[in-house]
Amino acid sequence: MNVAPRYLGRGSWLARRDPRLLVIGLALFVFTVIQVWDLRILAGLAVVAYLYYRSARIPFNQVRLNWGYVLFFVSFVVVTNTLITGGELRGLGAADLHVYFRLPLIGTPISAESITYAIVQYVRFLSMAAVGFPIAFAVAPGDIGPTFARLKVPYKFAYALDLTLRFVPSLAADMQTTIDAQRVRGYEWEKIGRGPIGKLRRTIPLIVPVTINAIVGAEDTIDAMDLRAFGTGRRTWLRELAFDRTDVLVLIGFSLLLVATTVLSQTGHTRLWVPQPLIDLAG
Amino acid sequence: MSTTAIGRDESTMWEVTSRTVVYAAIGAALYAVTAQFSFLLPGTANVSLRPSFALVTFFGFAFGPLVGLFVGLVGNAIADWLSGWGLLTSWNWSVANGLAGLLAGILAYSLRDMIRNRLLLAAVASALAVIVGFIFVFTDMWLGTADSFSAALADNYLPVVISNVIVAAILTPILVAAWEPVRESMGR
Repeated sequence: MNVAPRYLGRGSWLARRDPRLLVIGLALFVFTVIQVWDLRILAGLAVVAYLYYRSARIPFNQVRLNWGYVLFFVSFVVVTNTLITGGELRGLGAADLHVYFRLPLIGTPISAESITYAIVQYVRFLSMAAVGFPIAFAVAPGDIGPTFARLKVPYKFAYALDLTLRFVPSLAADMQTTIDAQRVRGYEWEKIGRGPIGKLRRTIPLIVPVTINAIVGAEDTIDAMDLRAFGTGRRTWLRELAFDRTDVLVLIGFSLLLVATTVLSQTGHTRLWVPQPLIDLAG
Repeated sequence: MSTTAIGRDESTMWEVTSRTVVYAAIGAALYAVTAQFSFLLPGTANVSLRPSFALVTFFGFAFGPLVGLFVGLVGNAIADWLSGWGLLTSWNWSVANGLAGLLAGILAYSLRDMIRNRLLLAAVASALAVIVGFIFVFTDMWLGTADSFSAALADNYLPVVISNVIVAAILTPILVAAWEPVRESMGR
């Protein structure tokens, strides 16, 4: 069982940036994108997201499954949103819609507006994922703790974050050992139980021993930290982070995008825009 | 010093010691690792049971609200990271998980005089924590993931609350029952 974080963007332009840039950049980009429903503006933001993602040089064959997962999730959200909202789209009434047909049984209108709305949602989510992926694959796992500490997160929280990432591979190994040990005793995780309760019961022989062992084993770490007087004074980090000129320029770029989008949004220029060919299709 | 939320008084419940930090990190890492075990609830389209969620309420219940908050918040973010969804892409869901862990810890303390049976207390505190904590996923309406209140309710809130209440109410008492004798033998 290999669940260790993968540092796939090692050496890329984005990986050489201060990791705080990736976190702040994502936050600024998310707040930018969620204000926009105009496909033309979103297309521009999607290009920015794509270029940003490309600069992390994450090999596609290594993240193909991850993108598949994202596409599946986004498709699910878009389809259910379209079905459940029943054509009530961003302030548009039934009279404003250019309807192609209605879905059988539930009667949801499929219109030029709902198709555009679905495309907009796809573009929004995929853009956000593209800017979010580099945090997962282009930041060295050992930099996560110092990154959040330098973002003014309380140092004990940042230290716990650092510790979490160090525990993940060893706990994954413990999990695999427990699975093997239980298998020797005739337990097969793959032979899943009947019904929800039966399925849950099947996980108990795995989750309980792994959890209790991990807690008991944590005593060594606690003792080591106490012996080094953890928590008695302000902690410093071996890894020092500093923004260079490029980092600052990228941050300014993200900030300007947010400001410009906010102004456009406040002046009503980011509302849902439906391409004329889609309207014409409705006849 | 007692390490369980049940044994804590108000003054130590919010204390952050090396023990708090390590238990929080262990819980979050365990949640991230075990999050791969999930299965679809029969008869539903999108309600999957994630047994590992019980770790959030268990750590909150057993080690205090701050540990529960961290396990839910960071554990879910790292589970998303490992699965490829991105560390902060669904940050509001991680916050909802964290709130559930936080509330499990607070309720373990505030309901202990009303419910004397610890296992029942664990089940009730966990279920209530999930129902209240996951209200935060309605922020999907603001983020655009859900277009309306009905979509957020039907797509997001109800499926996750149903599955997590089932998981938390069953597995949290089992974890508490397994942990209590170990805790006593360790003198914690």
